[in-house]
Amino acid sequence: MNGIRHLTAGGFALAICLAAPATAQELRFTVWTGNDAHLAMLNGIADTFRETHPDVTVRFETIPAADYTQKLTFQLAGGNIPDLGWIMEDAAPAFINAGVLEDVGEALRADADYDYGDFSEPAMGLWVDGDAVYGIPFSTSPLLIFYNKTMFDEAGVETPMELAQKGEWTLDKFQEVSKLLAEADNGAYGFEFKDGQGYDARMMHAIMPSIRANGGFAWRDGKCGFSEPEAIAAVKQLHDMIHVDHSIVPPGEQGDFFSGGAAMTVSQISRASKLAEGPFEWGLAPLPAGSAGESPAIGQAGIAVFAQGKNKEVATEFLAHMTNEENVKIMAQFFPPARKSILNSPDFVESNALIPPEQMAVVADAIANGSILPSHEKLPQIEAAMKPRMDTYWRPDADVEKAMADVCAVVTPQL
Amino acid sequence: MKPSTVNDPRRTERAPGLSLKMRGMLTAWLFVSPTVAGFMVFFLGPLIAVVFYSATEWNMLSQTSTFVGWANYQDALTRNPDFWHVMRNSVVFALGLVPMNIALALALAMSLYRPFRGVVVFRTIFFAPVVTSAVAWAIVWKFLLQGEAGAVNQILATVGIDGPNWLREPNWAMFAVIVTRVIKMVGLNMILYIAALQAIPRDFSEAARLEGATNWQIFRMVIWPNLAPATLIIVVITMIGSFKVFDHIYLMTGGGPENGTLVLAFYIYQQAFEFFNVGYASALAIIMFFIVLALTLVQILLRRRGSL
Repeated sequence: MNGIRHLTAGGFALAICLAAPATAQELRFTVWTGNDAHLAMLNGIADTFRETHPDVTVRFETIPAADYTQKLTFQLAGGNIPDLGWIMEDAAPAFINAGVLEDVGEALRADADYDYGDFSEPAMGLWVDGDAVYGIPFSTSPLLIFYNKTMFDEAGVETPMELAQKGEWTLDKFQEVSKLLAEADNGAYGFEFKDGQGYDARMMHAIMPSIRANGGFAWRDGKCGFSEPEAIAAVKQLHDMIHVDHSIVPPGEQGDFFSGGAAMTVSQISRASKLAEGPFEWGLAPLPAGSAGESPAIGQAGIAVFAQGKNKEVATEFLAHMTNEENVKIMAQFFPPARKSILNSPDFVESNALIPPEQMAVVADAIANGSILPSHEKLPQIEAAMKPRMDTYWRPDADVEKAMADVCAVVTPQL
Repeated sequence: MKPSTVNDPRRTERAPGLSLKMRGMLTAWLFVSPTVAGFMVFFLGPLIAVVFYSATEWNMLSQTSTFVGWANYQDALTRNPDFWHVMRNSVVFALGLVPMNIALALALAMSLYRPFRGVVVFRTIFFAPVVTSAVAWAIVWKFLLQGEAGAVNQILATVGIDGPNWLREPNWAMFAVIVTRVIKMVGLNMILYIAALQAIPRDFSEAARLEGATNWQIFRMVIWPNLAPATLIIVVITMIGSFKVFDHIYLMTGGGPENGTLVLAFYIYQQAFEFFNVGYASALAIIMFFIVLALTLVQILLRRRGSL
């Protein structure tokens, strides 16, 4: 009798299991932000995905930016493969070439509501190979001049934005203004390279805006551009600002813009949250124009689905959800979009509570006219090879032309 | 009539089927098995894997691996000029660090091995950097060694010395990382020397003094020879530590400026984890292993011949 009861109970249990909906899925998504506001926004987007996919949860896993690509690579190599992840622009070519990113082009084009054609073609350049699409840029963020308005006012110097509006914001004016600010009695330098890392990890962010403004390039069709006259003129000017004018924070010194150690820096709008409750007034301006006119430089990051992930289909659906028009509009407050419809809409310039519309318009213009920072499959090797030569270059007694020729001598074989 | 064995107490002591010797062995194996298992999984296994990887061209990102035999070793030893530059830096680092560390540790130990009021405070002060976080130590020193704004240069300026940009000039950067590393680690060697000094019978020194020996003669003829075994150990571990230095370099200079502080352990890290050339990095790791092994054997040999 007991045996029959057990058999019946087992049968019921089996029937319940079979009748239950499919097992809940969790998507693991690696990001490099730990900012509460960013994560709240991302989790909000994941919540709306549950409306159409009630069994799917998304877990955002923060890996600090400094080690992001490295740790992500370890996860991929170790078989602990995330479903989706943010990919930095400098890592994208190597990841695509290694075949670790899934081609989502067919799925996105097939979705009529998605409107894949809305993405700006130049912004997609890094992520597309023929018909294949290996990622969707979620942040196409131009480099901008952040300035300490309080310091400018105290020194009686016109701000970069005022100069830009008058069409006088050039590299020469940038040098002149930096010197005036450094000479003002405010205990600060005139300018700090991005995140104070211009001599190290942010080498490209330090030199490329000026090189491009002068009409130069890093590399093109296998040719190194650092020893070209345009590049030499650009870096020579920066060298003078460091060692003659003493207006740029020199190697080995600290002069953090965000804590008042420098009057200007280069950064992106996602950093504006660091100034939300800052002790000074601040503003944004475009990068100064050079002999070749304005040439905005853009840093980019994309979202990709990993080819070895276990939930590729759902992950691709989440990618489509996260980068649809509605969610790109939400993300635009922190991460400038690559969707033309949003970039050109009045909503975008009013999307960030910290940044006035006229300054957000600078962001939109820079995205429309700018180009992505140099990228290459072997960028880590190129930068490692450049670094010791650039160290020589930043010395006070550097032979500029020789140093830049040395840079090209080590970069060219890598290209 | 055969004697009954049913009530024999010797029978009841043995577990069925196992001799006393076997039981002893089994117990011993059970006690050491966690350590042996840990050694196999976390040391021996990876060591064998590194030897295997060193014969491959393995790209961690693309997960592609090709057997290349000795090619990675040939690349390092004959084709890649960076390797010899890195080796030179590692040797300079070791030659700068080991004598400075040993001399300072011995001087401190000689001052602090006898009990006096407050000796524990002094020992604690000199040992404290050893237990301080290496990361915090390196970051604080990086701030102190800034160019004009650094505390070290500001102190030097008060006595009229214009200090260099310590971490941005190749030779000064190497000097700075060696000195900060010595200050960090000297306390450990000091403790080892104090233990060794306290183990030397006081009779030896007293007898020498009665014979009219000076302090220097006592040190040279009595104390130093008795410290030889400790010195061997200290030199070996300091030398090995100097070849393995990574955290200081990573945090203070990143191998720069101009690759002036790019030492072997950091170069291996760079190849493996920045460029993902795991095969080449494994070959470098094996080369480093043999360098450290050779140095250790040479010192043991010198010790046996009585030269050290």
